[in-house]
Amino acid sequence: MNTRTLSLALVVAAIALGAALPAAAQKKGGTLTYTFHPEPTAMSTISTTAVPVSLVASKIYESLLDYEGPGMKPLPGLAESWTVSKDNLVYTFKLRKGVTWHDGKPFTSEDVKFSIEKVVTPFHSRGKTYFGEVSAIETPDAHTVVFRLKSPVPYFLRAFQASESPIMPMHGFTAEEIKEGKIRTAKIMQAPVGTGPFKLKEWKKGSHVILERHPGYWKAGKPYLDQVVLRVIPDGAARAIAIEKGEVDLAPMSGLPPAEAQRLGRLPGITASQEGNEGLGPIMWLEVNNRSKPLADVAVRQAISLAIDRKRLVDVIWYGQGKPASGPIVSGNPNHYDKKLGPLEYNVDKANKLLDAAGYKRGKDGVRFKLTQNFLPYGEEWVRQAEFIKQELRKIGIQVETQSLDMGGWLKRIYTDWNYDFTSNFTHNYPDPTIGVQRAFISTNIRRGATFSNSMDYANVKLDALFVKAAQTADGPARNKIWEEIQAILRNDLPVIFLMEISYTHVWNKRVHGLITNGVSMYSSWDSVWVD
Amino acid sequence: MRGGTVRFVLRRLAQLVPVVLAIAALNFALAKMAPGDAADILAGQMGHATLEFTQQLRREFGLDLPIVEQFLAYMGRTARLDLGVSVIQQQPVIELIADRLPATLLLMVTALVLAIATGVALGVAAARRQGTWIDNLISVSALLVYATPAFWLGLMLIVFFSIRLDLLPSGGMMQIGVAQTAVGKVLDVARHLILPAATLGLFYAAVYARLMRASMLEVYGLDFITTARAKGLSEGVIAWTHALRNALLPVVTLAGMQVGHLLGGSVLIETVFGWPGLGRLVFDALVQRDLNLLLGILFVSSVVVVLVNLVVDLIYGLLDPRITHK
Repeated sequence: MNTRTLSLALVVAAIALGAALPAAAQKKGGTLTYTFHPEPTAMSTISTTAVPVSLVASKIYESLLDYEGPGMKPLPGLAESWTVSKDNLVYTFKLRKGVTWHDGKPFTSEDVKFSIEKVVTPFHSRGKTYFGEVSAIETPDAHTVVFRLKSPVPYFLRAFQASESPIMPMHGFTAEEIKEGKIRTAKIMQAPVGTGPFKLKEWKKGSHVILERHPGYWKAGKPYLDQVVLRVIPDGAARAIAIEKGEVDLAPMSGLPPAEAQRLGRLPGITASQEGNEGLGPIMWLEVNNRSKPLADVAVRQAISLAIDRKRLVDVIWYGQGKPASGPIVSGNPNHYDKKLGPLEYNVDKANKLLDAAGYKRGKDGVRFKLTQNFLPYGEEWVRQAEFIKQELRKIGIQVETQSLDMGGWLKRIYTDWNYDFTSNFTHNYPDPTIGVQRAFISTNIRRGATFSNSMDYANVKLDALFVKAAQTADGPARNKIWEEIQAILRNDLPVIFLMEISYTHVWNKRVHGLITNGVSMYSSWDSVWVD
Repeated sequence: MRGGTVRFVLRRLAQLVPVVLAIAALNFALAKMAPGDAADILAGQMGHATLEFTQQLRREFGLDLPIVEQFLAYMGRTARLDLGVSVIQQQPVIELIADRLPATLLLMVTALVLAIATGVALGVAAARRQGTWIDNLISVSALLVYATPAFWLGLMLIVFFSIRLDLLPSGGMMQIGVAQTAVGKVLDVARHLILPAATLGLFYAAVYARLMRASMLEVYGLDFITTARAKGLSEGVIAWTHALRNALLPVVTLAGMQVGHLLGGSVLIETVFGWPGLGRLVFDALVQRDLNLLLGILFVSSVVVVLVNLVVDLIYGLLDPRITHK
């Protein structure tokens, strides 16, 4: 435990010191091998932003900015400096000179304009969220890019992460691919050309990916590693064995079964960390169909929330890989989370009284009413969690029947058919709650067929107005006030039952250093990671 | 005689076309019955997708067309041996299959050869010593292996040979990032192949051992074996030259039929051992509703199964000259 605290302190110190850390501490050379399953389907997040792709693509491609710390403070990246106009409508980026693509060609402002206009905005899953308000992108010279916005976007400077707005080479696409909009299936998605610290050396499908150092990388002396290798190991137990044997150095993003992550984290040579995910903000809840009769009653939803022992859920079902949720925004978000919020109350008596008062009397068998639950088909923990919820709700006289569906069936039932009572669900805050929180609760997002939207049929005019206001207010105390109000409303209305801030656990061999740098550490370039 | 065989093969190949197309049509219908589509899954994997984005994905991959149109397009493509583009992987299906088929074939063929060789040898040994402790040992062991789940057996083999003894790698098909000579590469793959092939092969070895034993005992009861014994031939010669050839027919039949099963079994084995084959791909394609990929793999595997059964028919003729191909 002491060693862990110490290494944590060292990581924090390393972040604080940044480049000032003595060069002797870092070793140049060597290979970092990580494992994840499923394997990536492409080498660019334009194709898909699924986790395995984001993991590998963020080493190959860069965006205009870098980020530091859990609050994602913007730092220079491909852009050396930037200015924002007073009305927050004009962003001017000065690009770094002398940056080359992996194929040796120079990087210019034309690449940035092309990437955002033709690639990111139309094809990235969040492209329109980030750049929907952009009215023009100007390139006055080869190293200046100007973004003009129709209205302010408070999270605009957080959009320039490698996995969110990768800058791709215009010359990497054929005229036909651009003309016919065949961007997602373009050849470059499989054979990447980026500006990042690593370039693709070998991809043996189903087996491994080897990235090697980009010798022309613009950061002097970086990257430290010679190679980053991905080993595809489909079986969770086999991944754990590979880490234990030292064949693999890192299993990022909860790549191991929770029980294995907990077990390995206790071994002397291995670290299990839940840091570095603040910019993703993973959160889990019970999505409740507010159309379904007893669940439309807020007293019933509050009773359900009171009946669940979240602490036990985290410890027993998830082996400590997370913490009880206190609302829609994760507590790791240093900018928007309301620190005054305590944990959601666990009180079975109170829950029972609430249901009695609301007129839901117990029958002879002790049952007040019956509900059907679905669960996210992501693996056995989700099945066990469903069993746990069933037991908890039995205590307040709600009989639960569990229904199992695979992903295709689950998505259709929840988001197209709206034919469910409640289901476990897992989503992300992303770098800003306007991106990650609003979509689940704003009433304009009650749309049949839209996945991970407002499937609950929850509509609150006051909340809608607050979301719109938050989306237009510049980040700062005034905006935080709005988010506090939103958190209070959702905690009271409980259109979903917030369960837990599920943590992405990263398990690594202690020979690896410098992994945790910001709120999306596993989607960072790893140019400063080194191995003993 | 040879001309007859050639004509037989050509006729069977011609028959193969409608059979495979019928399988393709049936596969399409079955796959379409499952709820949800790949656009939903892909949008879901991206975590944050608007309805417009999901619909854009459907348009990009032709999933927005009426189902009849999708079916006709699919059958037209299949007839031209064009397997389309995978929605989830966003690459031509034929490339995805070509990347992984060799690994699966290597695993399957090795496992099958291992299973037949071991199964036949044990089956013959048990039959020759019917009722003795050797027979009992072989029969009971075969039953035990037959009843053991393959994925569990695989994990146990990893624990024993890889973790405890540190003799063999725990997974993968080759060492990554190590420069090797051609011979070194072959040996490296062979080392990685031992555990998965043994796991997959052992189950079938048990099946063949039991079948072979029964089949041998049946042949031992026939008149020509009595004649051979009366001629004074040694038991070894009788077993390996006279009885075996006749007793092999059911094993060959079963092996041919089991090629399809073997492909199914490789899903589990490939998962446990991280073997980069088709098995895992077909599983992912199924749960991700990646229709083109799923149908493509099923198409290729149905062609393989039909072809293997053709080969089995030809082997009949070799084993038993009384069987002719007309």
